[in-house]
Amino acid sequence: MTVGELQAYGYFILTALLVFLLYGYIFHLYRSQKTGKRDYEKYGRIALDDDITSEPVEPHTKKEKKGEA
Amino acid sequence: MFSWLEKNPFFFAVGVFLVIAFAGLVEILPNFAQASRPVVGTKPYTVLELAGRHVYIKDSCNACHSQLIRPFKAETDRYGSYSLSGEYAYDRPFLWGSKRTGPDLMRVGNYRTTDWHANHMWEPAKTVAGSIMPAYKHMYTNVADIDTAWAEAETVRKVFNVPYNTEIPLQDGTTAVVELKDLAAEKTKALEEAAVIAKDMKRKDIEAIVSEGKIPEIVALIAYLNSLK
Amino acid sequence: MENRLEYDYSVAKLFMWSTLLFGIVGMLIGVTIAFQMAFPSWNNWLGEYLTFSRLRPLHTSGVIFGFTFSGIFATWYYVGQRVLKVSLKESPFMMGLAKFHFWTYAVLMTVAVVTLWMGVSTSKEYAELEWPIDLLIVVMWVSWGLSIFGLIGMRREQSLYISVWYYIASFLGIAMLFVFNNMEVPTYFVSGAGAWYHSVSMYAGTNDALVQWWYGHNAVAFGFTVPIVAMIYYFLPKESGQAVYSYKLSLLSFWGLMFVYLWAGGHHLIYSTVPDWMQTMGSVFSVVLILPSWGSAINMLLTMKGEWQQVAANPLIKFMVLASTFYMFSTLEGPIQAIKSVNALAHFTDWIPGHVHDGTLGWVGFMIIAAMFHMVPRMYGKELYSKKLMESQFWIQTIGVVLYFSSMWIAGITQGMMWRATDEFGSLTYSFIDTVTNLFPYYLIRAIGGTLYLTGFLMAVWNIYKTVTSSKAVAESSMQNTTPMGA
Repeated sequence: MTVGELQAYGYFILTALLVFLLYGYIFHLYRSQKTGKRDYEKYGRIALDDDITSEPVEPHTKKEKKGEA
Repeated sequence: MFSWLEKNPFFFAVGVFLVIAFAGLVEILPNFAQASRPVVGTKPYTVLELAGRHVYIKDSCNACHSQLIRPFKAETDRYGSYSLSGEYAYDRPFLWGSKRTGPDLMRVGNYRTTDWHANHMWEPAKTVAGSIMPAYKHMYTNVADIDTAWAEAETVRKVFNVPYNTEIPLQDGTTAVVELKDLAAEKTKALEEAAVIAKDMKRKDIEAIVSEGKIPEIVALIAYLNSLK
Repeated sequence: MENRLEYDYSVAKLFMWSTLLFGIVGMLIGVTIAFQMAFPSWNNWLGEYLTFSRLRPLHTSGVIFGFTFSGIFATWYYVGQRVLKVSLKESPFMMGLAKFHFWTYAVLMTVAVVTLWMGVSTSKEYAELEWPIDLLIVVMWVSWGLSIFGLIGMRREQSLYISVWYYIASFLGIAMLFVFNNMEVPTYFVSGAGAWYHSVSMYAGTNDALVQWWYGHNAVAFGFTVPIVAMIYYFLPKESGQAVYSYKLSLLSFWGLMFVYLWAGGHHLIYSTVPDWMQTMGSVFSVVLILPSWGSAINMLLTMKGEWQQVAANPLIKFMVLASTFYMFSTLEGPIQAIKSVNALAHFTDWIPGHVHDGTLGWVGFMIIAAMFHMVPRMYGKELYSKKLMESQFWIQTIGVVLYFSSMWIAGITQGMMWRATDEFGSLTYSFIDTVTNLFPYYLIRAIGGTLYLTGFLMAVWNIYKTVTSSKAVAESSMQNTTPMGA
């Protein structure tokens, strides 16, 4: 196999993977929203309630490092 | 998996980096060896030509002139045969330019002469009526930096194996050698070459400066332009 | 003491002033070189120091690395604190780092201006600076990166707001591109002779061109697109009081943009000597790029849904809505120029600077100006000096941009058609100089358009100056959304 072929296969596989990931992400976003697992739209509030005294939309605590998935 | 990425800035950054680096990896890296092979007849620049190339860069000639002839009839009729990748093998940096406010210069050495350049750069509009090119009178007094040009030639010879002092095949089947000696010898050689150009420029002031052992920028620049073929 | 905590804007203020300073300088040089193309005698007023060719790199570096990057840093030190809900005051280290960032930047920009003016250049567009300055840039850039990730580490808000994503991408993208494109060998250290600051590129010819345009195009991506999108995702919702229309769409557009943008660099090299498949790839991906770009732009316009009366009432919203519109326009025009047959005509002509400028003047310029107008009252606790002045500025600049790009369209297409025109025997109809003299009226119109834009910018600077020095004080707490402004 030449470098060129290797490059072509590598390119194809990686692109397919990235496309798959992107569509997976779209699916993930809308499903989480629909099943109520996570409301993405509430993050839009971060820009609006941005005084240092405002209540964070989702407080950052040092202990809770892991996400749900 | 995704919500985890969104919450973890470190892995998020890694993800972004992978996605943006991907194009570079595929597009750029594998073609390096292939594209840098010179075509027959392509020679490295002499020290004087390199000094001229530095003048070309110093005054950003590449802001208005391209050095890339595209494979269209209108371009080959106007500027000569279209560019080949290997012709640029010794161009560090490349000088293709991105705008043609003035004409392409890839093969200007084929159809312009030393005294044409000498008149043109002094007052472009007098040589080409309607030209909007600035006059470059300061090049007739500023002195070219031969030391730095030599330093660059020596560097590319050492680091990138540019074939100085080596027989280079030419298109007619013969060979040629571009010599690169030590700094002192190269300075003498550059001065000799400069004297020939100064004579062709038909300007007494330039000849006077060269006879003092200095090379005005314009002389080096013309040496470079004449080498573009 | 928690309730007494405030955001610290000292570094944001410093960067704001450098934005204004470099804006004036960079645009003034731009107007000068625009007039030089119409009146070439202007070139020779100051010997070698006023020629078009010396000034052109100063103009591009001045507006990109001076004006735009100052704007990016200023907004980062403002937006970054606010959306992460953390103050620089909380950490003396972060504060010091931010100050260090500014002063390294100030020093390196000064050196850059002086050396470019003297003609010390590597010739690579938007990467003209020689290696010692490149090293300074790395130091400056790393300190910005530390400041981003440092603030993120201290945050009170768990999720990173979409703007922060874009700032991070901007940091990473430029870092990668810059390092690879500026690989160079200092000649003095190899040969022991010549100027110590001189270097030679690691790449030759076609390879060098590939790396350069991979950089050149994507410096546009991560300097003119990504961070400006970061700004609009914060400032438009905040100023209008409307949350982003679809947060999910903003996330999707982000990944789309990240993936597609980097491939598009090849469109600068169509019909050159780079391999054919790369040219085609550059062309195809440029067209695909419309999707994520329009994703962001449409999201912005829809954010204003049901609130369009604000566009009439608030000049800041006007600036931002027009900026998104120009963004859409520019990201449609670019892909059109990247189609091979169009590119054959457009490449090397004035249509290209025309395209660049409707992106930079219309999108980047307007967004940064709007961001400054939004931040100044909040940073100084004053109301904006004059609404009327902003209204007239808006129209003057808009007319300027329209004159600029319309004249350059005509100039570019005329030029391209004349270069390729042949007579009945197949010989070229025009000599090169015919194509130059023919463009005089368009060059003049362009220069006038540029002057109008500069005039508007000076009005903005005056407005900001008066706001800071002599405007009415307003409590920051009362400035939730619409920026208060005097008549």
